[in-house]
Amino acid sequence: MSTTADTSRVQHLVPGVIILVLAATVAYLSFTREPADAFLFPRFISSVMLLLAVWNFIRAFLGMARIGDGLSAPVVRNILPGVVIMSVFALFAAKYLGFYLASWFAFLSVYSLYDPASHLNVKTWARRVFVTTAFMAVIYCLFTLLLKVQTPRGLFL
Amino acid sequence: MKKHLMSLALLAASTTLTSVAVQAADFPDRPISMMVSYGAGGATDFQARIVTMMAGGEEFLGQPMVIINKPGAGGRVGWNWFAGEAEADGYTMAAYNIPHFIAQSIEGGVKYSAESFEPIANWGADPAVVVVGADSPYNTIEELIAYAKENPGRVTVSGAGLYVGHHIAALQIQKATDTKLAYIPTKGGGAAAMKAVIGGDVVAGINNLSDAFRAREAGNVKILAVADVQRSEEFLPDVPTMMEAGYEVDNASVNFRGVMVPKGTDPEIIATLAEKVPAMFASDRVSKQMSAGGSPMKIMSREEVQAMWAARQETLAELLAGLK
Amino acid sequence: MEFLQYFGGVFEPVSFMLLLGGTIGGLILGATPGLSPTMAVALLIPFTFQLEATQGLILLGAAYTATVAGGAVSAILLRIPGAPANIATALDGHEMARQGRGTEALHVSFLASGIGGIVGVLLLIFLTPILAQWALAFGPSHLFWMAILGVTVIGSLDSRSFVKGLLSGCLGLWLSMIGYDDIQGAQRFIFHDSLTGGVNIITALIGIFAIPQVIEMLAKGRVEHKVTSVQVESQSLFTSLKLLGRNVKALSIGTVVGSIIGLIPGVGGQIAGLLAYDQTRKFSKDKDSFGKGNPAGVIAAESANNAMVGPSLVPLLTLSIPGSPTAAVLLGGLLIHGIFPGSDLFDNYPEVAWTFINSMLIGQVLMVIFGIWVARHAARVAHVPPPIMAAAVMVLALFGSYSVQQSMGDVYVMLVLGLSMYLLEKVGFSAAPLVLGLILGPIAEANFIQGSMIANATDGPMVYFMSGTLNLFLVVLVIASIAYSFISTRSANKTGAPA
Repeated sequence: MSTTADTSRVQHLVPGVIILVLAATVAYLSFTREPADAFLFPRFISSVMLLLAVWNFIRAFLGMARIGDGLSAPVVRNILPGVVIMSVFALFAAKYLGFYLASWFAFLSVYSLYDPASHLNVKTWARRVFVTTAFMAVIYCLFTLLLKVQTPRGLFL
Repeated sequence: MKKHLMSLALLAASTTLTSVAVQAADFPDRPISMMVSYGAGGATDFQARIVTMMAGGEEFLGQPMVIINKPGAGGRVGWNWFAGEAEADGYTMAAYNIPHFIAQSIEGGVKYSAESFEPIANWGADPAVVVVGADSPYNTIEELIAYAKENPGRVTVSGAGLYVGHHIAALQIQKATDTKLAYIPTKGGGAAAMKAVIGGDVVAGINNLSDAFRAREAGNVKILAVADVQRSEEFLPDVPTMMEAGYEVDNASVNFRGVMVPKGTDPEIIATLAEKVPAMFASDRVSKQMSAGGSPMKIMSREEVQAMWAARQETLAELLAGLK
Repeated sequence: MEFLQYFGGVFEPVSFMLLLGGTIGGLILGATPGLSPTMAVALLIPFTFQLEATQGLILLGAAYTATVAGGAVSAILLRIPGAPANIATALDGHEMARQGRGTEALHVSFLASGIGGIVGVLLLIFLTPILAQWALAFGPSHLFWMAILGVTVIGSLDSRSFVKGLLSGCLGLWLSMIGYDDIQGAQRFIFHDSLTGGVNIITALIGIFAIPQVIEMLAKGRVEHKVTSVQVESQSLFTSLKLLGRNVKALSIGTVVGSIIGLIPGVGGQIAGLLAYDQTRKFSKDKDSFGKGNPAGVIAAESANNAMVGPSLVPLLTLSIPGSPTAAVLLGGLLIHGIFPGSDLFDNYPEVAWTFINSMLIGQVLMVIFGIWVARHAARVAHVPPPIMAAAVMVLALFGSYSVQQSMGDVYVMLVLGLSMYLLEKVGFSAAPLVLGLILGPIAEANFIQGSMIANATDGPMVYFMSGTLNLFLVVLVIASIAYSFISTRSANKTGAPA
């Protein structure tokens, strides 16, 4: 991935700032909430965390130790549909369609979106639906029949 | 009166909704889950698994009951979930522990109270007992209390958490004997509290009768007293009650275990459950397994449990008010 | 040698079938993300109602050992540890799989599990009375120092960046404090209703390891995948045995560390693998090869997490104290048949106790045999096209995280943690220290608070936490571990290049 040094620095700076804000919030909450006994440990941990977050931010600001691949535009474009599918599942589908139907759609959409085979071929779609249904059947046997897990129901199972 | 109005309103609401009525007629048509607000392997979890094992039988519910554990913070996590999120469709039941959840609701910071739940039936009553290690110098409760009087605040006593039966018993003992104990709540329930006693981390412990009985059989502890109104004839006929030893400690700390459903569950479903669940508890196999495991049973009907809840609410409010 | 006369019981038809079934079923359940050994054993309890005491225990024991080992399969092939015990296995195991040495990794993992497991059970057979006293010696102050010892490992788990490794660990420690505090009942950092119960460790494990893996598979986009993400070439067992022979040091360290950790009630096997991994790396001449596919890492982690199984039953069988959640569930399996464990268990019920223990020995052997057979077929997993693999792991993660406590809130927590972890890994943070923090936080905190309460009622915190041979020994270990990481990072900085 050919990212320039500048984007890479920004990419380390942004999480640096987020973690700094998070650490500061946690520290603030730890030192202001009662009872003090229950927050003894959080106070200690959050102080260390804040210290490390400042250190990390300074390093990011100076552009030191840029480890990790970072994110590039093509990668973001590629993962976005998958992330959207998972969010839709969690926020709406599981509740209104039921856990199984929602998972079925989630499986099928991830598989189809990332499957390199042609989208116009009927056979491809038959294979996709078959694989999805077969996998969900295995999941049903394992979780509902064997483990007796009661998943949320919506319109369907 | 208010209660009657409430149930009338519920009745009216349920009859207008025909779908609910249909649901109630063939209830249950799928497995029922039962939430236990303590971890797998704890006394409540263990007993819950035994008393629900017959649920699948046609003469009882005809559907299996599945245990779900939602442990954390002495039960608060599970009961909060049950009061706030559980569906009132009869397929979601929970185990209750008295005095735990009532004491916690009086202390505050939780989303439930005795009003949030509808009891179905009670299966067990596990009194709190005072234990010391097998090699402890104290052989009677009087010796231990005498030592506590000489050393206020220095006698460490382990128990399963704050505002659970063990803590209530410790508070009652302090009040009755005019002593100051150092109550040490442990994480990890009764087993961790018992380990603290056997390992000598603490001077004494307050624990469940069933666990203490087992530990004594294994030769690890001495049981000094039972915090109940009468001796346990089945398991510990030789151990005196606190009352017999001359201390005013009643049965407010006895750990009652049973099942309940969320408020708002269809009264017909409650009626079905209230009829079938106690019968299930009373079956031969359940009582055989329970006594094999050293777990004292006490089957109570829905009406009896309602009365017991109300009585506990009063006693505990008084006891905990004195604490603040 | 009393135990030898009870081997016959293991080979009775019903018992042996249960042992075989428990082992095979346990391996499969263990390899499924989201099913921890405790859950697998708890799920089997109802089945044992119908069985005799010995048979029920054989089934539970077999499932316990096999799920611990089975977690390595998904750790190696998918970099998704089946249980907390397998986190360290994923570090080098998955790298080996990516280099085409997946079969080898699976072979050594099962062989190491088997050897560690057998040593652990032998300790249980021969040294139980001595070990029982040792297990009791650990009070709150010692457990606190044990947890701190674990925390000191955090800094050295990530070789890429010291600061980011520590910061990941701190994030984990903070996550462990979310929710109701167990002792006081105070509410801490509950930003959303899903967090009232805190962050469940199994839920977190699924999110932190499985979701980044799914996203990583998607990141390549809709292209023809000629090369699958993991290559597993068939490999003769003989070469794997030779590889194990060359790593006797890792095997011994893993077995010793696992046995000791297993014995301590309340610490549990969750950290045995990580501690053994860290020790093996510290004693290795080639430290930088760890995390890049060094079989020693897999061997240390897997021998440790199975060696822990035998000793973890010592406090249960002799003192009736379950030292881990799984042991607590096994206790239920005994009680249901009216058998009370305790010092006289071996006198009152010798055939139950010894047949159970012997079955665990035989079970280890069966597990190795079946595991090696699984390794031969694991190649098929690697040939699944990435889009199907990603979708399958995603759905498994959703179901797995839901079924831990049957809560939709856990699914949200899992997805949020997973997405955050993916982004954090992209900028150099790492998952292992974060999970270690999440595991150790509650152990350190609860024991510190309990210890302080006892100390305040007695001689004060300084005396309580800093006196006694065991306390001082642990403090010295903690200081040595901190000093070691400082010296090794400084010398690495000076030379500029990995030594």
